[in-house]
Amino acid sequence: MRKQRIKVRICVGTACFVQGGADLLLYGDFLDPELLGECDIEGTSCLGGCKAESRDRKAPFVEINGTLHANVTPALLVELLREVAHA
Amino acid sequence: MNDIFIDVDYSQIYKAGQKIGGDVFLQSRDSRSNQIVCTLSDGLGSGVKANVLANITAHMAHKLSFSPMNLTHSARIIMNTLPVCNQRKISYSTFTIADIRYSSLDDIEVQLVEYDNPLALHFRGAEQLDWERERIDLQRAGAFKQEVVQHSKFRLAENDRLIMFTDGVTQSGMGKTLPLGWRSTGVRSFIAQTIAANPAISSHDLAQAITRKAFSLDGLASRDDITCAVVYVRRPRRTLIVTGPPFTPDRDQALGDRIKNFSGRKIVSGGTTALIVARLAGKKVKVDLSSWSKDVPPSSTMDGVDLITEGMLTLSKVATGLERKAPVTSLPQDAVRKFITILMDSDQVEFVVGTKINEAHQDPSIPVEIGIRRTIISRIRSALEKNYLKETSIEYI
Ligand code: FES
Repeated sequence: MRKQRIKVRICVGTACFVQGGADLLLYGDFLDPELLGECDIEGTSCLGGCKAESRDRKAPFVEINGTLHANVTPALLVELLREVAHA
Repeated sequence: MNDIFIDVDYSQIYKAGQKIGGDVFLQSRDSRSNQIVCTLSDGLGSGVKANVLANITAHMAHKLSFSPMNLTHSARIIMNTLPVCNQRKISYSTFTIADIRYSSLDDIEVQLVEYDNPLALHFRGAEQLDWERERIDLQRAGAFKQEVVQHSKFRLAENDRLIMFTDGVTQSGMGKTLPLGWRSTGVRSFIAQTIAANPAISSHDLAQAITRKAFSLDGLASRDDITCAVVYVRRPRRTLIVTGPPFTPDRDQALGDRIKNFSGRKIVSGGTTALIVARLAGKKVKVDLSSWSKDVPPSSTMDGVDLITEGMLTLSKVATGLERKAPVTSLPQDAVRKFITILMDSDQVEFVVGTKINEAHQDPSIPVEIGIRRTIISRIRSALEKNYLKETSIEYI
């Protein structure tokens, strides 16, 4: 069976962008091409996460297949996508 | 705001080796009386002496044009004041005065007084128009030849241009590339071709195209000062900037209609605002990830809107860019550059600023944010008005 593509939405809203979201937009540089090939990545305006921030759930936010992730760094993004790809 | 925009600009290349021009162009606008006066003067010779003479002439012509005195009489005064060169027995400087008065796009009248400059040209689109000139002979003591001032009166309409230049233009190339120089016929056909190829060419670009062509005919070493001025009548280019959600959601529709009914370019700045606009229009916002900047989030696209950007960061960078008068070409390829490019291409900029104190009444940072938005917008407006002579307006929703 053909694998489902991974839907990734990176928040480009002000709060996320200034707190590290800008780096996530360089995904072309830090995701390996094979993994990148399995993803549909798009930018999105505020995902709402920043409005309900708590001590351990802070910007930047990224939504992967409908699940909202907080505190996303490039390294974490790679990790999260690997998990989804190999699930 | 006015439905008429009269774009006046000029371009000048000094005689090779000179650091100052012997041709002087002046323009002033009196927006209360809807009057624009342009004077182009060419002082005898080149360099400092010519510059001083041309300046005296241009300033006199200018002052007199804003007085109630009739233009022919003003010309007489100037002629009588101008010294006559001892050796060559000719006047120290030439002039063209265009006194333009208008009330609307259908009512623009020009009074033109020309003395010894190449005759001005009138174009409607790419077509050259002729008009009657009245010749007035002036007899001056000490002048060895009869002096003729030409006076005329005619109307300008939308898409018309009035083009004035000094003899550095018509005589360019003389004895080099062209035995008799570029001449008025050459200049005319060059202008017609240039306008045909680019019907909306700005006064700045057209004047520059003409002086550059003359400069190249002179083999890139001009034999005289080369000056050209263009007056172009057109409708103003308008831009609407919407930023911030309306005070209450029941005003969203009004905002949507304002955008839909606006004729001109449209910018939406702010993620939440963009979502409201997209929802009302039933369109999708697509973030453009093709370019990256560390300073501002990427811009987005949506049918019916020319540019969508993030709010605060982008607006404050736009304000700084305009305040510093940074040339567009020096800016990085990001949302700020796109934003400023549109502003530079506009004559009138209308701001619609949303004043929602939203989701978090509790959040003490929100009122501050509204204050910041207002401050940034007023910085942008004053930079547009002071540095770039744009008209702006603002309304709160
Ligand atoms: S700005 Fe990213 S979740 Fe709000």
